[in-house]
Amino acid sequence: MKQRRFAGLAIGLVAVVGLGLAGCSADADTSTASGEDAYTIVIVPKDSTNPWFVRMEEGVNKFAADSGNDVYQKGPAETDATLQVQVIQDLIAQGVDAIGVVPVDPGALETVLKQAMDAGIIVVTHEGASQENTMYDIEAFNNTQYGAFIMDNLAEAMGEEGTYATMVGHVTNASHNEWADGAVARQMEAYPNMTLLAAEPRVESQDDGEVAYQAAKELLKKYPEVTGIVGTSSFDAPGVARAIEELGLTGKVFVSGTGMPAANKSILEKGLVKTLTLWDPADAGYALASLAEQILDGEDIADGVNLGVTGYENMTFAEGSDKVLEGNGWVVIDKDNVDSFGF
Amino acid sequence: MVDNVIAVRDIGKAFAGVQALDGITLEIAPGEIHCLAGENGSGKSTLIKVMSGVHAPDTGTIELNGKTFSKLSPIEAISNGVQVIYQDFSVFPNLTVMENLALNAELAAHRTFVSWKRMRAVAEEAIAKINFTIDLDEKVGQLSVAQKQLVAISRALMSDAKLIIMDEPTTALTKREVDALFAIILDLKARGIATLFVSHKLDEVFEISERFTIIRNGKSVITCLPEELDHATFSHHMTGREFDDDHFVPEHVSEEPILETRGLGVDGAFADVDLTLRKGEILGITGLLGSGRTELALSLFGSKPADSGKILINGEVVEVGSVRAAIAHGIGYVPEDRLTEGLFLERSISSNIVISEIDSFVSKFGALDQRKADAEGQRWVDELKIATPNPANPVNTLSGGNQQRIVLAKWLATHPKILILNGPTVGVDIGSKHDIHRILRTLASEGLGVIIISDDIPEVIQNCNRVMAMNAGRIVAEIDPRTTTESELAELMSKDPSTIDGKG
Amino acid sequence: MAKLVRKLTKSNEFYLLLVIIAVSIVIQLRSGQFFSANNLVDLANAMVVPGIFAVGAFMVLVAGGIDVSFPALASLSVYATTRVLVDAGYTGGVWLPFLMVIVVGAILGAFNGLFTSRFVVPVLIITLGTASVFSGVMQGVFKSVQIPNLPQGMSDFGRSTLFVATNPESGLTSNMPVAFLILVAVVAVAFVVMRYTTFGRGLYAIGGDESAAARAGFKVRKIKFWLFVIVGIIASLAGLVRTSMMDQMHPTNLLGMELMVIAAVVLGGASITGGTGTLTGTMLGTLLIVIVQNSMILVGIPTFWQGFALGTLILVGTGISAVQLTRSRKRAPALVQG
Repeated sequence: MKQRRFAGLAIGLVAVVGLGLAGCSADADTSTASGEDAYTIVIVPKDSTNPWFVRMEEGVNKFAADSGNDVYQKGPAETDATLQVQVIQDLIAQGVDAIGVVPVDPGALETVLKQAMDAGIIVVTHEGASQENTMYDIEAFNNTQYGAFIMDNLAEAMGEEGTYATMVGHVTNASHNEWADGAVARQMEAYPNMTLLAAEPRVESQDDGEVAYQAAKELLKKYPEVTGIVGTSSFDAPGVARAIEELGLTGKVFVSGTGMPAANKSILEKGLVKTLTLWDPADAGYALASLAEQILDGEDIADGVNLGVTGYENMTFAEGSDKVLEGNGWVVIDKDNVDSFGF
Repeated sequence: MVDNVIAVRDIGKAFAGVQALDGITLEIAPGEIHCLAGENGSGKSTLIKVMSGVHAPDTGTIELNGKTFSKLSPIEAISNGVQVIYQDFSVFPNLTVMENLALNAELAAHRTFVSWKRMRAVAEEAIAKINFTIDLDEKVGQLSVAQKQLVAISRALMSDAKLIIMDEPTTALTKREVDALFAIILDLKARGIATLFVSHKLDEVFEISERFTIIRNGKSVITCLPEELDHATFSHHMTGREFDDDHFVPEHVSEEPILETRGLGVDGAFADVDLTLRKGEILGITGLLGSGRTELALSLFGSKPADSGKILINGEVVEVGSVRAAIAHGIGYVPEDRLTEGLFLERSISSNIVISEIDSFVSKFGALDQRKADAEGQRWVDELKIATPNPANPVNTLSGGNQQRIVLAKWLATHPKILILNGPTVGVDIGSKHDIHRILRTLASEGLGVIIISDDIPEVIQNCNRVMAMNAGRIVAEIDPRTTTESELAELMSKDPSTIDGKG
Repeated sequence: MAKLVRKLTKSNEFYLLLVIIAVSIVIQLRSGQFFSANNLVDLANAMVVPGIFAVGAFMVLVAGGIDVSFPALASLSVYATTRVLVDAGYTGGVWLPFLMVIVVGAILGAFNGLFTSRFVVPVLIITLGTASVFSGVMQGVFKSVQIPNLPQGMSDFGRSTLFVATNPESGLTSNMPVAFLILVAVVAVAFVVMRYTTFGRGLYAIGGDESAAARAGFKVRKIKFWLFVIVGIIASLAGLVRTSMMDQMHPTNLLGMELMVIAAVVLGGASITGGTGTLTGTMLGTLLIVIVQNSMILVGIPTFWQGFALGTLILVGTGISAVQLTRSRKRAPALVQG
C-alpha cells in the first residue's frame, strides 16, 4: 500500500514536472503504456473496509489498467465525515489531479472540496446530488427509472397480470418512495393487466427483515388477490420471501426489490425470488474515474457523455441540473450470476 | 432484681475521631418498659446500633442472656432476642402482610425455595401472638401507619424476642392508635418481654415508661423514674440548659385586626373558617393530620386559594390568589417540610437567606452585589444565632434546628407583617425548639402577627395567646391556653366531630 | 367466591384480558381473519422474541430498574457467536450456538450486574451506557456486517416447526416455530423463580424497599448481580431465536426494540418504580402490543397512522395504570366527613 502510494506520488510528481516544462520533448514517464502524460486520479469512498466500497475499488483498478493513468482508491478506515475530510486534505497537499468522492456527509465536505477546486484539482462526486462544491455528480440512475426497472422485473415474474402492493422502508424515505412511485407509473403505462392494491397501496418494512416478513404475511392473508410485492429497501425482498415460503405461496406470489448478491444468495437459489436489482459499485467507481479523466482532458461534458462502462454510456443531466448526471447503471442479479459479483 | 435482659456497660464508640458514645451504661430488666431519650446527635441511634449488633463498640461490654460480648453481630443480637423496629418499620409496601411477616424466617433458614403454605402458617402464628386481626393477603402499602407498625411488631416477636427496641414509635399515630399500641406493650410486658422506646419528646411515651435514661453528647445524664421528671427537668437534662416554662403573654396587641377571614373554605379540605389576628399576637391553630390545618395555612398564603369566603388585611378585603400576592400583602409562610419546600440544601446559608429578596441586591446593570448580599446574610446569622462558622457553608451542613432558623430568616428578610408557621419545630431538637419559640415571641412583641399551625399541643399551649382547634375541616373551639390543659385540647382535636357543639 | 370476584376486578390482568378480547373481536369483525387458525399461529410466532425479551425486562422492572441494554446485549452475543461459528465453518447442531450465546450473554449480563450492584446510579443510566458499549464493541471490534449465511444448525432450528396451521378457506399455511417452546420454557422457569424462590421474592423485596430488604437479610448486591446475569442469558436466547428464524444475522435488527418491550411490560401492570407486576400481566401486555402491531393491515389502518395507533394504545394503557396508582395513593385519610 505504502509502496503504491509512493509510486503514485513519484509518477504524479513526474507528471507535474512534465507539464511544467512545456516544450521539453523528453518523456520521462516510461511506466505508462500510452506514453501520454499520466494523471493522478484518486477515488475517496465513505469507508475503505465496507464490502460495497471494496467492490468499488475493483472498478477503480480496472480503470487504472484500461487508461494507463495513475488511478487508485483511498478512503477513511470507517464511515466518518471528519476522517474523510482528512483524507482529502492529504490529497490536496500531494497535489493530485483529480478527486472523486463518495461523500459521507455532503455538508461536511463543502469547505475542503472548495479548497481542492481552488487548488486547481478536478472534483467530482458520486451519490452526492446535493453537493455544491463539485464539478459534476454522477448517479447510477434516475430514481423513477430505477423504479420502472424494478417493475419490469416484477411484471415478468407475475406474467404481466395480477394485483400488487408496494413496500418501502419508511413512508418518509425519499428514495424508496421515488422508486415505488416510479414502479407504479411504469405499471400504469406498460402493464394494463396489473392493478395496484387500492386498499393498501404502500406498506412499511421499517428497514427490518422481521417487520417485512410480518407485514407481508398480514397483507397476503387479508388480500388473497395480491400476487406481487414491489420491494424497495434491501430488507424487503428477503423478509417477504420468508413469508411467501411459509404461507405456501412459492411460485404464486412474487417479490422484487433491491438486494446485495451475497446476502440473498440462498433465496435466489431456492427460487423464492427470481431476480433482484441493484447497481454495481465497481461500475460507479469506473465511471467516476472516467469522468475525472475526461474533464482533465478538457472534453466537453454534455448530455450523452459516455463514461465507458455499461449503464454509464449515455449519461444525461437530471432535470433542472447542470451538475448531476444520471445513468441507467442498474444490474439484475439472479441465481445464475449471483456468485459473479464478489460482494 | 432479676437478671437483666440486656446490660451495656461503659460503652464507648468513636467515628472518625468524634466520640459518639462515651462510657454509656444501660440496663433493662425483663418486662421493663424503658425510655431512652436524647436530642438528635446525642448518640441514641448509635447506642441502638451497638445493642443490635450493627456497630461494634470500641470499649465496654454487652451482657445478653447471661453471656458477655465485647462485640455483637446482628445475627447474635437477633438470636439472643433483640429486635429493632425502625421508624420506617422496614416493611415492603408492595408485598402482602403474609410475606412481610414470613420472608425473614425463610431467609433465616437459608431456603432457596419458598413455600407459600409454610409462610401462611408462620404469618398466622405471628399475628395471633398479639391478637392482631388482619387480612394476610392485603398489601402492606394499603395499611394504615398503625397497622404497619403492628406488622413490624408481629414480625419482631416471631423470633423469640426478649427486648423490642422501638424508634420513635408514636410520632405518626392517632391517640386511639397509641392507646392500642400501649395495650400491646403492656401485654408483652406481662409475658416478660421488655420494650425500649427511643424518643426525643417527653410526652409521647411518658405515661407508659417505667424508667427513663437520658443521654447527651454520648454520655448518660440520668436514669430515673418518671415521677422525677417534668417538662423543665426533662428539657434541662436533654440540653444541659435552663428553660423557663412560662406562657406567652402578648404585650402590645393592636386594636384593629391585621388579618381576618370570613367563612373561608377550600372544597374538600375545610369550610367556614372565621379567624382574627391582631398585631403582637401569636395565634395557634391545632388539629390532627387531615383536619384541614395545613390547607388553611396554604390558602392564607395563596398557594391553595380559597374557594369560598374572604380574607381581610387591615380591614380591607384582599384577593390572595397566588403566593406572589400573599408576599405583596406582607404574608410570610414557613412550610411544614423545610427540606423539600423551603431550602436549597446545596446552596450557601447566606444565599438561602437572601433568595426571597434577591431583587434588592441587584444593581441597575443586573449584576448581583455579592458583598451587600453577604452582609445581609451575616446579619441574620447573628440575629437568629445560627450556629455556623461561615455563612458561605452549604445549608446541609447544619442541624435541623439551625436549618429551620434559616427558613425563618429567609422569610423575615422579606419584612412580613404576618408570619404563618406550619409545624415550626417538627424534627427539631429541644434546644433549638426553645430558641425558635423565643424568636417568635420577640417578633410578636415587635408588632408582627404570628400564626403557629402545629399538632404539638404543648407548643401551642405555651407559646400562643389564643388557640383554635380544628377538627374535620372546621374550627371546633377557641380556647385560652392559660386555662386549658393539654388533655382537654387533645380531646377537642380527636373527638368525633359530630358530637362537638361548636361554631360552624 | 365474592372475594375472588373482587380480587379479579381489582387486578390489572383482568382488565388487560378484557381489552385483548375486545381488540380481537374488533379485528375479527373488520377483517374476518383474526380467529383463523393460521392467524393465531402467526401471532404466536410474532410473540416469541418480544415475549422472551419481556420476561427479562419484567424481572429488572420488579427489582426497581429499567434495563435498556438488552437488545444491544443480545445483538452482541449472537453476533459474536455467529461470526465465530461461521468463520470456523461450523456445521453441527444448534446446541453449540445455544451454549455459546448463553455463556456470552451471561458474561455481558455480569458486566451490567457488576455496575448496577456496585454503583448507586439508576439502572437506566448504567444500561444506557452499557448498551452503547455493547453495540460499539459489535461495530468496532467485530466490524459487524450482515452475515447472510448462518451455520446449518441455526438455519435448521429457525425453520423447524411444531405444526403447520392451514386456513381452510384461503389454503394459506402458517408454521408454529419450535422456538415457541423456548418462550414457554423461559416463562415457566421465570414463573417458578419469581414466585417460589427466595431470589425471586428478593427481587420484589428490593423493588419495594431496598434498605428494608437489606435489613431483612437479603444479599442485595448478590441478587442484583445474578439478576443481570440471568437477564443477559434470557436476552441472548431471544436474539438467537430471532437470528435463526430470519435465517441471517443482521447486527442492528434488534436495536430499538427496548422501548416497545418496556412499554409492553408496563402495560402488563409492572410499575416503573419497581416491586409490582406479574408474569401473567407481562405476557398479556406483550400479547396486546403484538396483536395490535400485527393487525394494522388486517384492520386496514393506513400506513401513515400505524405509529399513531400503536403510540395511543401504549399511552392509554400505561396511563390507566398510572391513574390507578395515584388513586390508590389518594385513598389516604378522608378530609372532611360531612
